[in-house]
Amino acid sequence: MSLIYAATIAKRELRGGLAGFRIFLLCLLLGVAAIAGIGTIRAAIDQGLNGEAATLLGGDSEIHFTHRKASEEERHWIESNSDKISEVLTFRSMLQARPETDPTPGLSQVKSVDANYPLYGEVILAPAMPIQAALATQNGTPGMVLHPALIDRLGLEIGDTVRMGTQDFQLRAALVSEPDTTLSDLGLGPRTIVHTEALNSSGLLGPGTLFDAKYRMLLPATADIDALQSDALAQFENSGLRWRDRRNGAPGISMAVERLSSFLVLVGLAGMAVGGVGVSAAVRAYLARKVNTIATLKSLGATRGTIFATYLMQIGVLAVLGILLGLLLGGGIPTLAIPLLADQLPIPIEAGFFPAPLLEAAIYGLLTALIFSIWPLARAVDISPAGLFREISGSANRLPRWPYFVLVLLLTVILVGLAVRFSGVPMLTLWSAGGIIAALIILAIAARLTKALSRRLARTRLMQGRPALRLALGAIGGPSSEATSVVLSLGLGLTVLAAIGQIDSNMRATITQQLPERAPAFFVMDIQQSQIDPFTAAMLAEDAVEKVESTPMLRGIITEINGVNAKEAVGDHWVVNGDRGITYSASIPANSTVSEGEWWPENYTGPPIMSFSEEEAAEIGLKIGDEITVNILGRDLTATIANLRALEFSDMSLNFVMVWSPNALSGAPHTFLSTVYASREAEGNLLRIMAQDFPNITAIPVRDVIQKVSSTLESLSSAIRWGAAATLLTGFVVLIGAAAAGADARVFESAVLKTLGATRRRILLSFALRALILGAAAGLVALAAGSLAAWAVMTYVMDSGFVLYWQAAITIIAGGALANLAASLAFAWRPLAIKPAQILRNQV
Amino acid sequence: MGSPVLSLNNVQLTLQGNAGPVRILKGISLDVEAGESIGLTGPSGSGKSSLLMLMGGLESVTGGTITALGQDLTNMNEDALARFRRNNMGIVFQSFHLIPTMTALENVATPLELAGDRDAFKKAKAELEAVGLKDRADHYPAQLSGGEQQRVALARAAAPRPKILLADEPTGNLDTSTGETIVDLLFNLRDRHGATLILVTHAPELAARCDRTLELRDGALA
Ligand SMILES: Nc1ncnc2c1ncn2[C@@H]1O[C@H](COP(=O)(O)OP(=O)(O)OP(=O)(O)O)[C@@H](O)[C@H]1O
Ligand SMILES: [Mg+2]
Repeated sequence: MSLIYAATIAKRELRGGLAGFRIFLLCLLLGVAAIAGIGTIRAAIDQGLNGEAATLLGGDSEIHFTHRKASEEERHWIESNSDKISEVLTFRSMLQARPETDPTPGLSQVKSVDANYPLYGEVILAPAMPIQAALATQNGTPGMVLHPALIDRLGLEIGDTVRMGTQDFQLRAALVSEPDTTLSDLGLGPRTIVHTEALNSSGLLGPGTLFDAKYRMLLPATADIDALQSDALAQFENSGLRWRDRRNGAPGISMAVERLSSFLVLVGLAGMAVGGVGVSAAVRAYLARKVNTIATLKSLGATRGTIFATYLMQIGVLAVLGILLGLLLGGGIPTLAIPLLADQLPIPIEAGFFPAPLLEAAIYGLLTALIFSIWPLARAVDISPAGLFREISGSANRLPRWPYFVLVLLLTVILVGLAVRFSGVPMLTLWSAGGIIAALIILAIAARLTKALSRRLARTRLMQGRPALRLALGAIGGPSSEATSVVLSLGLGLTVLAAIGQIDSNMRATITQQLPERAPAFFVMDIQQSQIDPFTAAMLAEDAVEKVESTPMLRGIITEINGVNAKEAVGDHWVVNGDRGITYSASIPANSTVSEGEWWPENYTGPPIMSFSEEEAAEIGLKIGDEITVNILGRDLTATIANLRALEFSDMSLNFVMVWSPNALSGAPHTFLSTVYASREAEGNLLRIMAQDFPNITAIPVRDVIQKVSSTLESLSSAIRWGAAATLLTGFVVLIGAAAAGADARVFESAVLKTLGATRRRILLSFALRALILGAAAGLVALAAGSLAAWAVMTYVMDSGFVLYWQAAITIIAGGALANLAASLAFAWRPLAIKPAQILRNQV
Repeated sequence: MGSPVLSLNNVQLTLQGNAGPVRILKGISLDVEAGESIGLTGPSGSGKSSLLMLMGGLESVTGGTITALGQDLTNMNEDALARFRRNNMGIVFQSFHLIPTMTALENVATPLELAGDRDAFKKAKAELEAVGLKDRADHYPAQLSGGEQQRVALARAAAPRPKILLADEPTGNLDTSTGETIVDLLFNLRDRHGATLILVTHAPELAARCDRTLELRDGALA
């Protein structure tokens, strides 16, 4: 009965139009659109990844060996379980266009393939031709295709001869795209594709060179991938075999996408919370205008429940409208943009209509609208009619009655619970939600403190003779001040921005600080034992070279610890996942110190012993005396930990987790890894020398690597910054809303102040000061809360140190103050322009 | 007697109404001597408030001139008018027009501060005491009764010791006895500080307390 009555009143009130609800709609719309948009993009990438998983992988499943090909036995297993297989080898090498005249080399990521490549998809070449035809041997010269960047760099034409190792190839085509590429492949240098048979005489696949062998398998339709995987892993347990299949085609990418998008969802939720503050402020402003209606309804006998229902229905109708618009925007923009952008993205993405993320965004939106509306609504409904008639809205700053309080709490728990479930990163979500709620509470307290402090300050002698400042402080501290909603919305937006700004600065600094003053020019890999002395001599003969440091290097996988399977012994730690570089040394390597135990004597000849990095040992629970078994080139070698070493990573020289006693490893076939320190200008010349005299070695320009790392980081942080910008935009809308809501009061104040003799300049100054003080207060709190969050992320998520960057910090505070100033000045012209009489004669 | 404190010469006011221009004041000429009190009466809508707004410089004339204390108000810009009021005029409205975000004391101190008075708060306190509101100094307008608000407004108008006091139906929103208190205060202020008072009122007995009574009818002095 009373609900029907409530609906009737609600309908009548909504006839008045949406004018008072623009901010409400905009806040909800932005929040929902951001979450829906992020979700849609994420779903589109997932879809793209699934569809292309097998193609990207290059087969239904893949077995991967590091540093070696499959053994007879392994190859037999692979062949007997597949309809068809393709062997692909990858390694890095130098190419030379005209070895005799211009030996400038180009570093390339080489892929050598067999006759069955590719099992899935198609290699696109320019000029168009089948890949196998391009690679075939003609007139005794094998074919080669190169990435256009490499063709450019080497100044080649199609048909030219290119030397790799000691073998000449003919360039037949430019590589437009290959089906089996993942982000991780794009790592170091542009691609070359050749036929494996052509490499037999190149000297590039000798023992000890760093190549990977991948066996792509085309499985029978009836194959049970799970069973095959367990069988392979069981049969070749300690062989260093790695398994991938179409179910996780590009784990690197999907994990990166997953991480990034869940992080963005969290930024989206923060944006939603800012939107919520706007919703709350809009509802409060609306109810303030309805004070007389509410009081009249009450005095006519409407119960609190009826009035609550009346306004909740109106808010509900508007919320649904705002959410629908948000979904349209958030779901629509990616759907339109993806087809246009798909070609430029390094990851597969497929546009489409994805109901799940839209539903998710709608639920978040609805819950947010409810949570932030119920609070002010419950308060307005609770005030007695006399209080409503008399009091200015917003002055009632107490908590709502407990049933409403419990309802708000319950809805919040549901919202956080859903976010934890949907985001895929439960702990991070829980922490972030806690952080957002804590930030809101801190900001609410800060708003109160700001008001109280302003009130106090306005009364002090200090303010006497400074009317503009006192007016500003008085207005902030006075009743019906917009301080709370400004500090909350701006503060929360800035908190997110401050946290991201500090994380960003810290991550960048970590990278640049790791660059020593004299960075090495190259890491040189694959130097054969017979080459190390001539190589060192050749380098040192150049004036530009300051020094060359060389370390023997082997690769191996830790298979057992104290006789127990390594993964069972220590779980999923990177040290036991995949192959590690291992070295041996008679003396303590530079940049490390023995922290526990003793280093072995120069001419140690006893049973094999090793030194283990202190940090990793602590992480996986190793101690002196533990026995580690490592599989090196198919052979199991065991050594005892004799000491622990503290490593100094900061100077970017090479460090190894394990250093063995020389007698244990020096007999095994191995290569050398050298670090060449030279000036930047000499790099080109050094590369030429290396390519000419040591064609099999690989030099990695370190400065390029650093460039790559920082540009990857750059794109990651810019994605995050876009997310933060969305939050800030919502925050700005809330500020505009607050300024708009206060505009009438401002007009009246201005009229009275003019009557009392205030000039327009003074009035403007007072308005500006008011905005600046509030903005600065919000910025200050945001800085504290955001830095705290950034510190937590750096310390617990990134495992790194934290420094407060003042420049970023001050930008945040200043930005906050200025944003609020802009919002409030946008609404200042009317109060200043209007004639006092116009206002004062109509105010009765 | 010297030159008039306030001198109106053929003052006209035409405002833009919904149905075209409305002639509200149709040529008013008037001289007010220093220390004089004038009761301005007339039926509702006759233009009393409009005339008072013009005298206070809150509205600009559309014809004629207004001279106050020897200065031509019609030639001043808004800020100059504000400065003029700050130093010379106190205005009281029927609906008080206190600033809701300021306490009673802050409301009273504001014009003093705007005038650069170092003792603004001390004087404001004394002024509040004079209207009997010493213990309401820290209350916001919403926490005061109508009569109390009008007394604050009165204290605010009187605090800078203006030479001209303009009051537009200061008792219109109040009951008779409260109204009488307010008017007593008003005349008391004028007597103590020798200000010139223009009082708009509907009540003949109030107008009668003034030195001179003028009646406005349909935008012209009767
Ligand atoms: N902004 C305006 N535009 C057009 N006409 C207006 C405007 N403001 C007031 N008026 C008209 O001007 C006339 C004079 O108004 P004013 O307020 O001066 O009357 P008053 O004598 O003070 O009346 P009351 O005794 O009711 O206060 C009225 O007829 C009114 O309708
Ligand atoms: Mg009037």
